[in-house]
Amino acid sequence: MLILSRKLGESIVIDGHIHVKVMRVDGDVVKIGIEAPATVPVHRQEVYEEIQRSNQQALTKQSSPLPKLAGAARQLAKPAPKTNLSKP
Amino acid sequence: MKCAETIEMETTAAPTTSRVRMPMGILGFEQIKDYVLVANPDEEPFVWLRVEDNTTLAFVVIDPFVILPDYKPDIPPADVEFLGLKDADDALLLGIVTIQGNNRATVNLKGPIIINRHTHTGKQVIITNAPKYSVQHPLPVADNVA
Repeated sequence: MLILSRKLGESIVIDGHIHVKVMRVDGDVVKIGIEAPATVPVHRQEVYEEIQRSNQQALTKQSSPLPKLAGAARQLAKPAPKTNLSKP
Repeated sequence: MKCAETIEMETTAAPTTSRVRMPMGILGFEQIKDYVLVANPDEEPFVWLRVEDNTTLAFVVIDPFVILPDYKPDIPPADVEFLGLKDADDALLLGIVTIQGNNRATVNLKGPIIINRHTHTGKQVIITNAPKYSVQHPLPVADNVA
């Protein structure tokens, strides 16, 4: 891992087009500003990992029984919302 | 292949299926890219997102707006571009359901699957306003099987 020391307001440039700047340091909280092209996804690692774990837990067998929904959700489900997929 | 064939996931008698290509896979399952969306009228509002090569492995998905009508996911511009979405109506949103037991099921609202209705390309998107929502938003499950 490359480790760099940066002062407040200083930046790092990655691959010429991604800028990472130290915006604020407050105790053990560091505010980081990231400027990247719209095509570069930037995520908090814990959110990414949380979704990954949730997916692993969600994978199931198609034969498994589905829960019955109560109340409003069942009502709402009746006139199914727009879920058409037109084949290309 | 016939053109302009429309898949309806509404109340038709037989299950309807539709192939979905997820070039980036699903987080944690990046290697699985081909899925089939199977909608059975008896099972609505649930829909199966089945792994194409495997007859049994599947995710249960649901239209998140059925559960949370005022759900307002912010989709990152990179994902809008990746999916080729020109209009909000181009997108089919599905939340992955986790069945936690007989009386508990949750839906992931932080990372919905978004599918372009026209190209059938999909991606699990981490919404920009993810902190506002839960990965385990509880579904209103009926106390007992009716």
